[in-house]
Amino acid sequence: MAETLCTPGERLALAAEYDAGSGTCVRDSFICATLVGVKRVLPAGEGKAVQRPRVEVVRSGVEPVVPRVGDVVTARVVRINPRLAAVDILCVGPKPVRQRYSGVIRVQDVRATEIDKVQIQASFRPGDVVRAEVLSLGDARSYHLTTAKNHLGVVHARSVAGVPMVPVSWQEMQCPQTKAVENRKVAKLDA
Amino acid sequence: MLQSKSFVKKTRRGHVVKVVREHYLRDDIYSGTPLDPECPPEACKLSGEAPHYLLVDTNVALHQMDLLEHAAVSDVIVPSVVLEEVKARNASVYQRLRQLAAADAKRFFVFANEHHRETYIKQEPGETPNDRNDRAIRVAAAWYTARLPTQKVILLTDDADNRRKAVEMGVEALSTAAYTRQRASDAPELQDLVAAAAAARGDAEGDAAAEGGKDAGGGGGKGRAAKRQRVYEEHRPMSEVTAGIKAGRYHQGTLRVNRFNSFEGWVGSESVGQDILISGRIDMNRAMEGDVVAVELLPEEQWRGPSNKLPTAKAEGAGATGGGEDALEEVPDGAHIAQVDPGEHYGEDAAAAGGGDKRPTGKVVGIIKRNWRTRGYCGSLQPLKAAGGSANHTQSVRFCPVERRFPYIRIQTRQAATLADKRIVVAIDSWEADSLYPSGHYVRTLGAIGDKETETEVLLIENDINTNPFTSAVHACVPPLPWSVSEADLADPSRADLRHLAVCSVDPPGCKDIDDALHVRRLPNGNFELGVHIADVTNFVHPGTAMDEEASARATTVYLVQRRIDMLPKPLTEDICSLRAEVERLAFSVIWEVTPDAEVVSSQFTKSVIRSRAALTYAEAQSRIDDARLTDELSTNLRTMNQLARILRRKRADRGALQLASPEVKFEIDTETHDPLDVGMYQVREANQMVEEMMLLANCTVAEFTLRHFPACAMLRRHPVPPPRQFEQLLRAAAAVGASIDPSTSKSLAESLDGCVRADDPYFNKLIRIMATRCMTQAVYLSSGEASVPEYHHYGLAAPLYTHFTSPIRRYADVIVHRVLMAALGLRPLPESLRDRELMHGVVDNLNLRHRNAQMAGRASVELHTLIFFRSRHVVADARVTKVRANGLIVFVPKYGIEGPVYLEDSAAAAAAASGGAGGSGGGAGGRKKGAAAAAADSNFVYDEEKQTVRSKDGSTHYTVFDKCAVRITVEEAQGNRRQLVLRLVPRSELPASEQMH
Amino acid sequence: MEYVSPEGLRLDGRRPKELRQLKAQLDVLSTADGSALFEMGNTKVLAAVFGPKPTELRSQEDEKRAIIRCEYAMAAFSTGERRRRGKSDRRATEITKAIRNTLEQTIMTELLPRSQIDIYVQVLQADGGTRCACINAAFLALAVAAVPMRDVVAACAAGYLDSTALLDLNYMEDAGGGPDVVVAVHPNHSNRVVLLQQDNRVAVETFEEVMELAVAGCRAVADFMRGRLLEHTRALAAARAAGEDGGGGGGAAMEGDSGEELEDDEY
Repeated sequence: MAETLCTPGERLALAAEYDAGSGTCVRDSFICATLVGVKRVLPAGEGKAVQRPRVEVVRSGVEPVVPRVGDVVTARVVRINPRLAAVDILCVGPKPVRQRYSGVIRVQDVRATEIDKVQIQASFRPGDVVRAEVLSLGDARSYHLTTAKNHLGVVHARSVAGVPMVPVSWQEMQCPQTKAVENRKVAKLDA
Repeated sequence: MLQSKSFVKKTRRGHVVKVVREHYLRDDIYSGTPLDPECPPEACKLSGEAPHYLLVDTNVALHQMDLLEHAAVSDVIVPSVVLEEVKARNASVYQRLRQLAAADAKRFFVFANEHHRETYIKQEPGETPNDRNDRAIRVAAAWYTARLPTQKVILLTDDADNRRKAVEMGVEALSTAAYTRQRASDAPELQDLVAAAAAARGDAEGDAAAEGGKDAGGGGGKGRAAKRQRVYEEHRPMSEVTAGIKAGRYHQGTLRVNRFNSFEGWVGSESVGQDILISGRIDMNRAMEGDVVAVELLPEEQWRGPSNKLPTAKAEGAGATGGGEDALEEVPDGAHIAQVDPGEHYGEDAAAAGGGDKRPTGKVVGIIKRNWRTRGYCGSLQPLKAAGGSANHTQSVRFCPVERRFPYIRIQTRQAATLADKRIVVAIDSWEADSLYPSGHYVRTLGAIGDKETETEVLLIENDINTNPFTSAVHACVPPLPWSVSEADLADPSRADLRHLAVCSVDPPGCKDIDDALHVRRLPNGNFELGVHIADVTNFVHPGTAMDEEASARATTVYLVQRRIDMLPKPLTEDICSLRAEVERLAFSVIWEVTPDAEVVSSQFTKSVIRSRAALTYAEAQSRIDDARLTDELSTNLRTMNQLARILRRKRADRGALQLASPEVKFEIDTETHDPLDVGMYQVREANQMVEEMMLLANCTVAEFTLRHFPACAMLRRHPVPPPRQFEQLLRAAAAVGASIDPSTSKSLAESLDGCVRADDPYFNKLIRIMATRCMTQAVYLSSGEASVPEYHHYGLAAPLYTHFTSPIRRYADVIVHRVLMAALGLRPLPESLRDRELMHGVVDNLNLRHRNAQMAGRASVELHTLIFFRSRHVVADARVTKVRANGLIVFVPKYGIEGPVYLEDSAAAAAAASGGAGGSGGGAGGRKKGAAAAAADSNFVYDEEKQTVRSKDGSTHYTVFDKCAVRITVEEAQGNRRQLVLRLVPRSELPASEQMH
Repeated sequence: MEYVSPEGLRLDGRRPKELRQLKAQLDVLSTADGSALFEMGNTKVLAAVFGPKPTELRSQEDEKRAIIRCEYAMAAFSTGERRRRGKSDRRATEITKAIRNTLEQTIMTELLPRSQIDIYVQVLQADGGTRCACINAAFLALAVAAVPMRDVVAACAAGYLDSTALLDLNYMEDAGGGPDVVVAVHPNHSNRVVLLQQDNRVAVETFEEVMELAVAGCRAVADFMRGRLLEHTRALAAARAAGEDGGGGGGAAMEGDSGEELEDDEY
């Protein structure tokens, strides 16, 4: 497939015939590029309500990403207190962000059940890498994130000894060296 | 449309920093000739049939403009580098060159060599900019030569080195002298046009075909080659001059040369605080009128005062016999009789008032900016002493300018014999330190000396008045004739229909450009409605059009005795705008409501349509006013208006307005020959004053209104308070006869002038007023943004604000005022140009200059006609002494409005002769010979400055200022083909009764 | 002063409807997310873009869209002797606002809520038309930073001197005192005008002529910039392909497709 390069504002396709994918926008019934990049047409995906091919512009190189509600983000815990865990967002979906966006996982957003029994220190520790979902744009300071889903939670943590731990249950992780067990809200990762 | 082909950066060094400008080179610049197959036809300017193309260098363009302008020179290539250099060196030559390039017939093609990819060159290391430019010109010439193998391309340059290098490059190069010699067969007059310096250089170089050159060398070098000694001090280098001015050693200023002596002048200097006298040819050091010079003050013991003697014609004779041009003592020009301007004292500068006082005296050490006229100087050739050389040989002759401010100019000509009795135009090329006179070259012939048309042409050129017919672009702006008020004009809501009013105009007889009309009517409340209606010129002259620009440049209509040079095309001047009787015309009206005591209750401005009932002359209006039997509407209105005008005039006088007088004369012209039949004092009637009063009121009202709306760009007319020293002479003269004049304010001056009456001389008061008028400064236009409110004052009218609104047909200032007024009324937006302060400054300067030139031309025309009038007459006329000098008097002849010197020596002899005949009352004077030297006259007369009296030693004759006397007026041929009036004192008994003044 | 010779050449040898030489270099600063050096003749402007990033001042944050911060500066050495009437802050403020305003209309700020984009524009050399060059440089830098934009934005000035409409005035012409119209347009959207500034008064008919010329100039500038961007993208792709073949792939690691693989390389 020949690569078609395009620049912002260029008309790519009719909005009536295609879906607008990333890197595009709809203006005046046309799908227009918003980035400098390669135009790609994805064939009509299965299971979609409307069976239409999708046009997107893929940029080679780093793309700016801003977390939006519903995005799954990867974040690092920087600080905890009894009410919340403060995190830095590292990636939005698969894309790394360029600047650190700060977010918080409030105590009530840690898990879906037994919310009142959640203890932050038993769920996250500073340094943990967490997969979370953007709940809302939050307050002025930070995004509100949640880990209240099975596949969300800590994905990477080190033990007191400084060794990456392995999950043993959805609430515990174990240090492979010291065999010490620490409490975490562990994400269930599909194989 | 985009992008240059390639580009080179050009660096120009400023004072400190480097300025980088882009310089794009192109390959779409063509040679401009049909001989070049690549040149698109629309770009062809040069003719394919021309025998050769000329390519000029910068110096040729700068110095040989008159040659290039000659019709025989065409098909010239001007490289853009030349244009740029010319532009930087001399703006007026640049303008002329541009005009040539624009003229189709001349086929001057501007070749943009600096932007052509193949002819652009970079400055080599170590190469001066001049050398680089010369090389660029040669490269351009070489490019043409290569481009047009079939055509001869000649590089015209007077630089021998340049020619040599050009020849090395395979380019044919000629000097101007050589080129004109080549063309001697088909256009012999070209040789005269070659500027003197170049011609001399060309000769000195011994150019190949120097046959003609030798002759020129023989003729021209006669005087010069023999005495290559320095006459003048070398001018100091510019750097030294600048440093000297900074250090206060030298003083910078503009030289104003005495109107009657080209070797006496004044330099106004701010650093000295008063004017510096420059006296004598050596100290003047080649500076001329208007030059910006650097002056060094002489030690105080060498300070001099301006001469308190009249320049004598005797010295002239002595100079001429004593070796002509070798005499260093410049021959002061003889007596000259002239109409004298206000603000100028006869025979000396206003600043010089104060007789024999020593003034700061200096000498010129450098000339910062020359003010040589590019339009040339009018004059005639000095008669040749020896009939040397046949007609075809180049001769060096002296040219005598008609304007005495300028020195003689040496020119080379082969047509000396034909030009002897002609008025010609000559341009100055240079003035070397070893040459007594500046060198110049012949430009063109105007006509025979003394011929009225020629002399009129001379005075027009001298005053820089554009007499060219209007261009077609200007005529295209004029609505077609016959023109009449259209429905659209009548339907315009901003235009009032005033056709029902009994409007009339009052003007001098024969006036065709009627720009004002008047009306008055009684209102029901007992007040009067007074209206002044001015031609609505701005309805036809729109800003930015060709007509507007032309009018702006001309600035004023010039009135000569027999001719009018219009500011606007004739159809507008005489028909469409002119408020003629019995036709509907568009007007701009000012309407007041005034009480019977002439107090203005309200004023209003409106565009209008009027229908003048009558176009009266002043005399007709006056007779209607005077004749109480006439009871028609117009006559009663005129009477009412006159009543109101009287009250207004009185009020104005109470405020301190001056009533001044000018010695205006009026000619009666023969309709066939256009020669003057009779001349007399211009009669000022009450009707004149009535119209004047109405116009003053309109002008003042408009000035106030426009200034209120546009404080920064209203056009005003100010009359500065004259500096007290200008009154010194008048005060001294008045004091000598016991009259007192108080010039401290205009009111005190007006009152003291009223008090100057002599029972035995009714004309005395008028004479005093005329002399007071001369003490005044000139009124000038200004844009209100340029000065502060107190400076708006009009001294003569004692009005805080004044402008010119009432004569838009003949004055451009009024056109501007109309536009401002329209904008103030919201009828039209204010033209952008009026807001541009810098532009307006230029416009105003031009208005003032042209206004003054027009006045000078008008006066010169009167002078010319006076001369023609007296050519066939010998008249003895009543005269008054206006100034007393040690060896003569200056007398004024009211009837003819002329003033001039009379020499006591002559008169004493005459008186002696007369008295001898009458019985010898004063025997001692009888023995004097008529031919006695002027010095003898001095010693025989005693001059008393305090009493303004001169008396002969024996007491037989004495004259005091304001004395009555009688003079005989004759026309005599003087030096330099200047025909002039000569006055001689005669006993009053010879005065015919008809010439007596009462 | 004569700005257009009767031969139809301007002071620097251009014809009235010609732009100066355009030059652009992209990605010239490694620290910035996007940068560009843009030249219009002797006017040289450097633009650097940082962001989108979280807003620094929370009070400025906008929940719906990104905020654009813009800083314009003129290097002290940029003008040489040709001091304008005091490089007062007012002029800088005005230009800043003009640039920001133009870019706000171009960047799809609604896609980047609560974030901030910093744009620094530095005039390195001034020879007239600085604000156009600034806008063009900023656009290029934004494109390099991959900030989503509605369209190319291109700016160009035109003036009117010696009764001729002139495109892309240089300093000498700018100082000529004639009207000076600065236009920025979105060329792909029927030349939607996003910025229009004018100095000095001008008659309506003249304005139309000048405006038309300026818009034509904008289109030409846009074409040029588009070409440069595509060229740059191709060059990058080629470089990356070469890098991957060489087995380096260091840069590509960032493009890992899931969070789990992210190594905590900070510890």
